[in-house]
Amino acid sequence: MSGNELTRLSIAEAGERIRRRALSPVELTRAYLDQIQARNADGRYYLTVLHDAALAAARTAEQEIGSGKYRGPLHGIPVALKDLVMTRGVRTTCGSRILKDWVPETDATVAARLAAAGAVLLGKLNMHEFAYGPTGVNPHYGTPSNPWGADRMPGGSSSGSGAAVAAGLCAGALGTDTGGSIRIPASLCGIVGLKPTYGRVSRAGVVPLAWSLDHIGPMTRTVTDAALLLQALAGHDPADPSTAAVPVPDYRRGLDDDPRTLRVGLVRELFFERLDPEVRAAVEAAARALAGLGVQVEEVRLPRIHHAGPATFAIITAESMAYHEPYLKTRASEYGADVRARLLTGQFVLATQYLKAQRARLVLRAEVDTVLARVDALLLPTTPIPAPRLEAREVAVDGVTDDVRGWLTRCTRPINLTGHPALSVPCGLTTGGLPIGLQLVGRQFDEATVLRLGHAYEAVSPFRDHRPPQAG
Amino acid sequence: MTSIPTALLQSIADLLARVPVDPADLPANVAQLSAQLDGLARLDDLDLLNVEPATVVLPPTEVPHVR
Repeated sequence: MSGNELTRLSIAEAGERIRRRALSPVELTRAYLDQIQARNADGRYYLTVLHDAALAAARTAEQEIGSGKYRGPLHGIPVALKDLVMTRGVRTTCGSRILKDWVPETDATVAARLAAAGAVLLGKLNMHEFAYGPTGVNPHYGTPSNPWGADRMPGGSSSGSGAAVAAGLCAGALGTDTGGSIRIPASLCGIVGLKPTYGRVSRAGVVPLAWSLDHIGPMTRTVTDAALLLQALAGHDPADPSTAAVPVPDYRRGLDDDPRTLRVGLVRELFFERLDPEVRAAVEAAARALAGLGVQVEEVRLPRIHHAGPATFAIITAESMAYHEPYLKTRASEYGADVRARLLTGQFVLATQYLKAQRARLVLRAEVDTVLARVDALLLPTTPIPAPRLEAREVAVDGVTDDVRGWLTRCTRPINLTGHPALSVPCGLTTGGLPIGLQLVGRQFDEATVLRLGHAYEAVSPFRDHRPPQAG
Repeated sequence: MTSIPTALLQSIADLLARVPVDPADLPANVAQLSAQLDGLARLDDLDLLNVEPATVVLPPTEVPHVR
């Protein structure tokens, strides 16, 4: 196979070949490194490329597998990390100028778990500065190129993760999601992104944006690959007291189960109120496609979900300001203008507003739980608009003009507040050739069902045969 | 939408929060806050006093700041 063909393999496909010793991890890693070498300068996907370390890890994997010490489906698979995941001895910039030379002395739990699974770390990926923005535009390192259109936002904050996976510059990546930062770039770049349940994946060693909303999860080209990465990441971690001691199922085993026993709820409130017409058509078509597979699709109500927007605003601004205050007192000029302004807004949020928002979280979570007692998952758009132009500040949808950041997070941030697992799966292309994302939201700690639904849908999605024009 | 005087935010930043603010950033703060204040006030519609106060989930050990 050519290098290009190797980098088009899914994790599951490459992993199976590696297991059978039909594919060398070194050959696969070299193929990715060659792609990165050829395209990273223009595409700005990676902030740090670990060329030699990746090859050394690939050689180790090859030797282990050759001697019968096969670790599982990620063994020898080249992956990359959003650059706020701490990596021992490797700089971790958070997409910022402030931390441009920071080299952590320890690995984040998720980095250690991927390494233990035998994954090969290719490098650290570009991102919205300190994860505080859904556009992915970065004033310090440049903005990762959306493989579906260089004049379009990749989405953020896990912009490099979304763009690199879509472009074929890593087999899979990790992102973080505080208001949609995994699902938004997944939607805009046409890949799969999973925000697991709050408490499912450890945040220890990951630089926070807002502690009570932050999640970490996989970004991949297929749902199966997301399941494989989640398998390595999930589970209680004593270093993160917010992680739950909930059993971790075998995510891959249930993927092919018949979806005909499942019920899906379509939520009109908020999520379908204002949508780009092509997004509306694609998501409604996805609902029909699931119904065609035998899934029972019905409309459900979340009458109070509108409160999620202001509640998440109070929490994210207050918590992020609390974390960044030391920097803002001494190094404010080193932040990009948009992130600095958003952070500083946090000092004007009242403590009572923050606490009301935390109480509102419980009300809204209970409302979603009640609906999910009746249906197995919710079906929503991921973003109400396809990838905006890079220079866009405001976008009009259904005659309403609003800040582009508000549009991008409109359908994702409520699920950060409630903490439910949410999967974004590509469900079509606009007439202009931009991807559209379908969002499936499941019960607490039931990632298995959203993965199963996403996997079933993926097989019939009109998106399945499309590849971005700028992929290798 | 509620309109907030920039001078008020400047005073809060100087006197209460004690975080230096570039006056050029204040219009963005005003816009962001103004867009949310009505919604924050409407959280009272959720009858929050009947809700058990949320325990703020402890974060993992904070990553040390780099000076």
